[in-house]
Amino acid sequence: MWDRIVQDAPNFFTYYNAIFVLQAMGRTLGLTVVGCVTGFVLGFAIAAIRSTRARALLPLRLLVTVYVEIFRRIPFLVILFIIMFGIQAISQGISLFAIALISICMVSTAFMSEIIRAGMESVPLMQREAAEAMNFGFLRTLLLVILPQAWKVILPPGFAFMVMFIKDTALVSQMGVVELAFTGKMFVGRGFSPFLVYGTVLAGYFVMSYPLSRLGAYLENRLATTRNREPMQRVWAGPGSVPGQPVGEQG
Amino acid sequence: MNYTFQFGLVFAQLPYLLGGALLTLEVAFLSFWLGAVIGLMGALGKMYGGRAIRWLINAYVIFFTNTPALVQIFFLFYALPDIGILLSPMTAVVIGMTLNSGAYLTDILRAGILSVRREEIETAQVLGMSGPQMVRFVILPHIAKTIYAPLSNFFIWLVLGSSMAAIFGVEELTGRAINISTQNLRTIETFAVIAVIYIALTFIASIALALVGRWAFRVRARIF
Repeated sequence: MWDRIVQDAPNFFTYYNAIFVLQAMGRTLGLTVVGCVTGFVLGFAIAAIRSTRARALLPLRLLVTVYVEIFRRIPFLVILFIIMFGIQAISQGISLFAIALISICMVSTAFMSEIIRAGMESVPLMQREAAEAMNFGFLRTLLLVILPQAWKVILPPGFAFMVMFIKDTALVSQMGVVELAFTGKMFVGRGFSPFLVYGTVLAGYFVMSYPLSRLGAYLENRLATTRNREPMQRVWAGPGSVPGQPVGEQG
Repeated sequence: MNYTFQFGLVFAQLPYLLGGALLTLEVAFLSFWLGAVIGLMGALGKMYGGRAIRWLINAYVIFFTNTPALVQIFFLFYALPDIGILLSPMTAVVIGMTLNSGAYLTDILRAGILSVRREEIETAQVLGMSGPQMVRFVILPHIAKTIYAPLSNFFIWLVLGSSMAAIFGVEELTGRAINISTQNLRTIETFAVIAVIYIALTFIASIALALVGRWAFRVRARIF
């Protein structure tokens, strides 16, 4: 094994291969960032809709809840397949990258909305009632009362989710989008030592997600509020989302 | 758009798909419990171990939580044969997911153990509880209450995550769906059906876990 790695290494670590891998990393990062930003915006809208109490909005609330529950309970791989074949049945002109991006945005919207909703619900009900008593409207309550208190709860799991999404985009390689995991398959196909190739790919993912999870952990410590409230028991942004314990990062 | 849905061909294969769902649950179960063993050892080692052990466990957790499980399994499946270790797809997937879940569960279990405060143990001592009584009535209920919800969420995450086993040729729910769809060419319908199966599976798991939690540990976990 070692002699094969030593033998392959000079051919593998060339300028053009490095450019190729960096481009693929950029694509992974692009998918993640666009997905998370879209997810944040749309997820915020969904969370806001779900926080309403008006009876007239009940169908809308129901629809949004169904959307969230469905997309959180289907594996990402299956969602990718359904969206890919669904879109291709309608039109063939859409690139695989765009399809991947659409599916990522749809999934991240569902997950982000849960994170944001948990943050909003962490604000005590009294605050909302006080705002109501002062005749604040829906938007003013949301922007001036709920959000300033909720963002501290939203941000740390938000970052944990982003780290998870960097990793989840690896599944997109199965569709043929040239991102980091796909480069691994390609280089192995070209006959390089799998040890070398997948080692490099793992290192590439690590380089991207470790700073983010450090940042998330830092924010978690920095923004930590009093812990005497009952922790939110339900959000599963990421696999290890224990309230107060960021994933993968304790001293 | 002139696509006519034909679910009949898929429904004919429903027993085959449901057998795949069993295998999905099996993969999730195996990696959950084996991961829990690793996680328990990791959590205890991280709290009571020496400097070297702590460093090692930290490195393990940080590495496995910051790289995709998919690529880890690629590594196990394609790179290890170079040094003479040939794994079957199922073993590679279970080993990969176990190592992965071990890293996450180390964190979850450690958070649970840390949630027991010194004052509580001191109070129990003042009340004259013996060691086993303390474990039974103070420490375990507290730990269970803290980690139950994250653990059950994690299990569901594993059920969904096990779908990537299909990429390596394991015939679980997604793998069988791929098999069927290459035969009947009804891809959208097939994947729609297994999506519904996944939703049903995770809903049943969520409800069952919530009920067990409420009954055994008095955890107030919501399903919605």
